[in-house]
Amino acid sequence: MNGVKRSPAALIIGLILLIYALILKRQDAAVTPGLLIDLATYLKTTKTVSTQVGVGLWAGIIVTFFGLWNLAVPAMKSKFDKLVRGPMAGIGTIILLSFLTRYYLEPIFKIWGKNAEKTLGFDFAAMFGLNYILLGIVIGIIWVNTIGVPGWMQAGVKTARLSMKMGVITLGAMYSLTELRYMGSLSIIMVAVFVMGTVIFVLWLGQIMKTPKPLTGVLSAGLGVCGVSAAVAASPVVKARGIDMAYSIGMLLLVGVVGLFTFPTIGRLVGMNELQFGAWAGTGILNSAQVAAAALIFDPKTIETLKVAEIFNITRILFLPFIVILLAVWFARGEEEAEVGKVSIRKVLIDKFPLFVLGFILMFAFSTTGVFTPRNYELHGKHFYNFKPDEKKELRTRDLKKIQAFIESGQVTNPEVKSALEKLVADRQITSTAQTDLVLKASDFTEDKDLKKIFKDADKKVQATPKTVKTMREYMMWFFAFGLIGLGMQITWQTIRQAGGKAAVIGVIAGVTKAVLSFFVCWLLIKGTI
Amino acid sequence: MAEEKATAAEQKEMEERALSVFASERREDLTALIIAFTLAILVIITLK
Repeated sequence: MNGVKRSPAALIIGLILLIYALILKRQDAAVTPGLLIDLATYLKTTKTVSTQVGVGLWAGIIVTFFGLWNLAVPAMKSKFDKLVRGPMAGIGTIILLSFLTRYYLEPIFKIWGKNAEKTLGFDFAAMFGLNYILLGIVIGIIWVNTIGVPGWMQAGVKTARLSMKMGVITLGAMYSLTELRYMGSLSIIMVAVFVMGTVIFVLWLGQIMKTPKPLTGVLSAGLGVCGVSAAVAASPVVKARGIDMAYSIGMLLLVGVVGLFTFPTIGRLVGMNELQFGAWAGTGILNSAQVAAAALIFDPKTIETLKVAEIFNITRILFLPFIVILLAVWFARGEEEAEVGKVSIRKVLIDKFPLFVLGFILMFAFSTTGVFTPRNYELHGKHFYNFKPDEKKELRTRDLKKIQAFIESGQVTNPEVKSALEKLVADRQITSTAQTDLVLKASDFTEDKDLKKIFKDADKKVQATPKTVKTMREYMMWFFAFGLIGLGMQITWQTIRQAGGKAAVIGVIAGVTKAVLSFFVCWLLIKGTI
Repeated sequence: MAEEKATAAEQKEMEERALSVFASERREDLTALIIAFTLAILVIITLK
């Protein structure tokens, strides 16, 4: 903490944040149009400007205040100094870097990826999942290995783990039991077998290969559930260090990219249908972004494969809370064993169970009760709906006429679907979740692409994410972005070299096993429809 | 043997402290819990 003595760092960082937010605010209000707003327009981030201004102003004011305090009273003696005043310069710097990755680097890579698609034949940004999460870690790694972490920043970097834990607790608010019930039974059974199977297999491999427990834990979540995001969510539970994260993420991306290229080729070679391939991709490919990409590579003309793949992908993501709990018990049990030689699950749960995981469970329970869902909103499947009559939700007259003609043509043989469509024509918008499902089902009775699009639009028009959920999601993203940059800053080349290549061996063995087994299950056992 | 154990425990504790500003993991968890739930309650009160 000596480094913060009489350091102007916090003041400078705070002022940069304040000035950035104020300039952006002026330009957004069109008082003085300029570079930042032009850039936001080019990067398609104009929707985020109000968040940027809000976060920038608040963070700027707080960091500047502590910066002035640090200059006036440089001695850091109390607990408050150690926990709040000391880390402030580092916290401000990481917030600045989060701005850079979320609002500049990610959109830039998105644009580059799309532009390169014409020449490369694929979107490299989408394929490698170059989002702010990954870029944040990379920025952290580059920073620590080039500039290094100066004394005034060190305490701030050490708040990264706290931020990650806050992210995991907030993640609990994004789940609901309603979503679990909505998923098809086949996807739940298949995914449960593969998720649990992979997690247990990796934990066993880790034991045989004697890899450190934090690394094994993070690998098992990443390989078993949904890649990088699962590894990130599980990292605080198993006390993963920066180096464990670096190895796991590197390996998960590598195995994921190999899968992305090989899955569609194999699927085509053996003649899989959309259902079989979607199920295989959603189970066997590690990262969510790569699941969607592989499904689109396999079947670029329609989105049938993508739809199936996403059902499986979402189902496995929903297993994350249970895997986090399982890993927490597994990790705490191991620690207990090392200490006293005998294990009591009850003692583990009471004494060793991480409090923040309880927070996650509590938040998940809250979310299930609908505490985050305002009146008029309903959670159905993975979407929120608001059926309150509104002109904006109504279909155009010509679309309604097209639906009327479709009803009269007699192509709809299902009476429930038919009456749902008749109600849609009468009300001009969908009015219930049951009707939503039936209207979407109407697509099965026609080959007309325009009509299919109208049904989808009718559903989309009544979808609305409540502000509460949007805000919680935004907080969660900030916590993870902050935490991962800080984690990246704990990864030096020296530590990577020291760690060895066991993560890669486990990753390849588990990744290939999962891919091969899920291939045979999907190819041989899945017939017809779900 | 006992010395080895003590050194390992010491090293573990140092490693843990090196990654966190908190004196113990439980305090870090409790802080995370309090901040996250305070935010959630604020969000519900102000936006629901």
